[in-house]
Amino acid sequence: MTLTRRSFVLLSICTSAQRFLGQQQGGIASRGIKAQAKPAPSGRPFNAEFIDVAKEAGLHAPVIYGGVDEKKYIVEANGCGCAFVDYDNDGWIDIFLLSGTRLEGTPPGATNRLYKNNRDGTFTDVTEKAGLKAIGWANGVCVGDYNNDGFDDIFCTYFGQNRLYRNNGDGTFTDVTKEAGLLQSGPALWGAGCAFVDYNRDGHLDLFVSNYIRFSFENAPVPGEKSTCNWKGIPVNCGPRGLPTGRHLLYRNNGDGTFTDVTKQAGIDVAIESYGMTVVAADFDEDGWPDIFVACDSTPSLLFMNNHDGTFREEGVTRGVALSDDGMEQAGMGVGIGDYNLDGHLDLFKTHFIDDTSGFYRNDGKGNFDEVTRSAKIAVETRFTSWGAGIVDLDNDGYPDVFFVTGSVYPEVEKKLPQFPYKTRRVLFRNLGNGTFEELESQGGAGISAAHSSRGCAFGDFDNDGDIDVLIVNMNEPPSLLRNDLKVKQNWLKVQLQGVKSNRSAIGARVVAHYGGKTQAQALVSQSSYYSCNDPRLHFGLGAAMEVDLDIHWPSGLHESYRRVAGNRLVTFREGAGVVPNRGWSR
Amino acid sequence: MFQGLAFSGKRDSKSALASYQHALKLSPDYLPALEGAAQIQYDAGSVGAIPLLKRVLTIQPNDVTSHAMLAVLAEKNGDCPTAVKHFSEAGQALESQPEALQGYGACLLKLKRMDEATQVFQQLLASRPDDPRCRQALAAVQLAAEKPQDALGTVQPLLTSSADVGTMQLAAAIFEANKDTPNAVRILRDAIVKDPSDTALYVDFAELAIDHQSFQAGVEMIDAGLKLQPDAANLYLARGVLYVQLAEYQKAESDFERAEQLDPTMGMSAAAQGMLANEQNQNDPAQALAKVRAKLLKKPDDAFLLYLQAAILSKMAAEPGTPEFRQGMESAKRSVKLQPSLTAAHNLLAKYYLDAGENALAAQECRMVLQQSPSDQSALYHLVIALRKSGKQAEIPDLLKKLAKARQESTKQEGERNRYKLVVAPANRRE
Repeated sequence: MTLTRRSFVLLSICTSAQRFLGQQQGGIASRGIKAQAKPAPSGRPFNAEFIDVAKEAGLHAPVIYGGVDEKKYIVEANGCGCAFVDYDNDGWIDIFLLSGTRLEGTPPGATNRLYKNNRDGTFTDVTEKAGLKAIGWANGVCVGDYNNDGFDDIFCTYFGQNRLYRNNGDGTFTDVTKEAGLLQSGPALWGAGCAFVDYNRDGHLDLFVSNYIRFSFENAPVPGEKSTCNWKGIPVNCGPRGLPTGRHLLYRNNGDGTFTDVTKQAGIDVAIESYGMTVVAADFDEDGWPDIFVACDSTPSLLFMNNHDGTFREEGVTRGVALSDDGMEQAGMGVGIGDYNLDGHLDLFKTHFIDDTSGFYRNDGKGNFDEVTRSAKIAVETRFTSWGAGIVDLDNDGYPDVFFVTGSVYPEVEKKLPQFPYKTRRVLFRNLGNGTFEELESQGGAGISAAHSSRGCAFGDFDNDGDIDVLIVNMNEPPSLLRNDLKVKQNWLKVQLQGVKSNRSAIGARVVAHYGGKTQAQALVSQSSYYSCNDPRLHFGLGAAMEVDLDIHWPSGLHESYRRVAGNRLVTFREGAGVVPNRGWSR
Repeated sequence: MFQGLAFSGKRDSKSALASYQHALKLSPDYLPALEGAAQIQYDAGSVGAIPLLKRVLTIQPNDVTSHAMLAVLAEKNGDCPTAVKHFSEAGQALESQPEALQGYGACLLKLKRMDEATQVFQQLLASRPDDPRCRQALAAVQLAAEKPQDALGTVQPLLTSSADVGTMQLAAAIFEANKDTPNAVRILRDAIVKDPSDTALYVDFAELAIDHQSFQAGVEMIDAGLKLQPDAANLYLARGVLYVQLAEYQKAESDFERAEQLDPTMGMSAAAQGMLANEQNQNDPAQALAKVRAKLLKKPDDAFLLYLQAAILSKMAAEPGTPEFRQGMESAKRSVKLQPSLTAAHNLLAKYYLDAGENALAAQECRMVLQQSPSDQSALYHLVIALRKSGKQAEIPDLLKKLAKARQESTKQEGERNRYKLVVAPANRRE
């Protein structure tokens, strides 16, 4: 009686597409799957055109981040995020860009940067004046008014010490990390994603921080040293696989400018085996309490459901957002949140590594998700390592589209394998309005087809012309600022919220707009995309509709309805007080 | 009764049986007659022994001989659950019966009761310590029980210069399971040198090459085999598989066709060609579907082709309620019916059921996969989702733990597979 090791060689090819190509990914999970066949083009025109105006806008400084031609450590590879933030409350969103450094030393000009919007399409670098000059390996940014003084504050994560900047309301910021109780002790953490979130609904913004890897230069393997340090047979920076996972943190806002680490008591510490990245906090099950989603690299993504008593339970796998639809780990990096199918519920879009599809998850309104990547025709694209993403209506037709930026993490590979370039194009899927999307290769303008190695991106209307523009971090290059020039004007509405009982920024609010027979939900979040923060004014494209009915679900639990709100303008709602005058710019 | 004994003594089984049966008509529970009749029927391999033995056990429930006989008969009839039940009651009666022990062990294997099977084969080896077949069998069982270190210890005494090719083939598998790829490759090459005509050895090498993404090395070894065995269908099939990995589809197609010509009964070539069509036409699923359907016309009951058809339709994102969706689901159903061991088809069918909202049926398919492959991540995940959608939460925490363990193991294995690349001479390996 002899048992053979394997009886049937055909089993090998049964799994070939996934398994064998998947093996080539070294330290990053990728299913090695081939793209879904592209359907025939719809032939419908796309009315948005994106032009990179960064240079004209004065965004000249490159975002320094690690080596240019090769990256020895993963710290150099993942890059950072950016934010659209109206720091001076003038109604024109400003730009905040994070920065890294280099292994051999910080080059001149490597710093986070704040650019003030000059209201004429240009920006002025006010970093030093604002007190935001900082060097180091910055990763994520989230924006919110943690002290409820009416001015948005900024929190930045780092490999090393994270930083909280309090907005002084006079154009300057103060680093209050220490006095806020956010100084870390022990070995350096790798702060990654972050989100301001009022998890206990006390009206004060708390803070969630995901950590990526427990990393030290002293102990980190170098390219080629381990099996997780090769990609396509070429030695590359190692990880995340093979490196110890990070540990996520929840800080409760004490209401007096300080925070207390409540990670353990809130039940966040149960999920330790994960490489956490972008954080999105929103009320996914529509119970009035914010939940927290963490995209995780090469480990299951996490969904912390709020128990309404200061604690959370992690249910990502059970609720269908942790793994691929065949139960495999994916390299979750960026997250878009929006309502692609106009059913009034918040769906999620998650970006992944090359040779894998992004993940598109439809919410049933109870916080349970079905993966619809393939049925939505998003699986046609697997060519790129993908990062910052959004579910945003780019052409104001009333149907949210999908946009994401891409770029390899291995600049050294291109020299030997030109088919895997370091700089790659942006990806735009237009919503066809029937639950499916169409990838636009030639439409969308030069800003879409331009190749960069991009990471974070933020969505917002920097020129206040009623459409969504995109700010993009490019590794070791100046950022891109994609101005949206709509060829055909359609209607729109911007909603700004001011919390009263809720936190002043109204972060965590869910707004459901009803227009032209459609229903669309949006959430006000302090981080999404990849480590980035969008314009806090919620933008609804309305198509031909001129008016909107709005349901505002405030973070405090208050629900307010407004009928027949006229479009093509910004409307500011104050919790419990109705429409109030806009700050600064209005239309 | 005594007549029966006398006939038995004269080795006249027919007359002895007639006498015992006569005695039993007069006294149905007369134990000596029951035992005598049962013995004769058992020796003849007749199922007629079964009711007699059962009656003996009614009278003497602890009769180990009757248990042993019933066990052997059940094992021969393929009824392993019954066989194992009686084997376990047979106790000492098995000690002097190596064939019965082997049957016991084989049944435990079939029932995936690995630890018990290992114990039985250990007992078998202890009773025949110098029999290399018993040692080989124990090593194989230990390997199947995922105890490769134990298997290595067992097979080691056989690895002398005079080891036969079968032992060397098994040893190669054991070395590989112990993550000792260099020794696996070495011993497999030695086996090929010893018997260059054994094509199974080249196929094993090809599998190792596939496991370590060393597709070209696999092709070169198969080439060497084909020089000696130019009409070996299984070598063409294996090389075709390797060519698929190298994306050399024309060569793969040529090899699959040659394999089919050489051995039309092999049955796998059509499936391989279907798989090739699927790989080759990733961007044109309609074309892949057409090719698979053409193959299905010739082999309508090929489970793998049916699975492929279902998989392509699934990839085309057919929506529930559409004819394509229904056809995909039916194809998956037929596939699992024709080949219940095809776990990929069960997983696919589970996904179809999930998409159709048939959560109970999805869970059922997942459980079938998990019976065969308890660590199958897709099945575990789909089962979690099916149970959640059915509102049956109780089982989920345990499944989540199993899924987490399976993921960790899978990641670990992936790292191990990446440790070695195989190259053909002059060096056999490099790290």
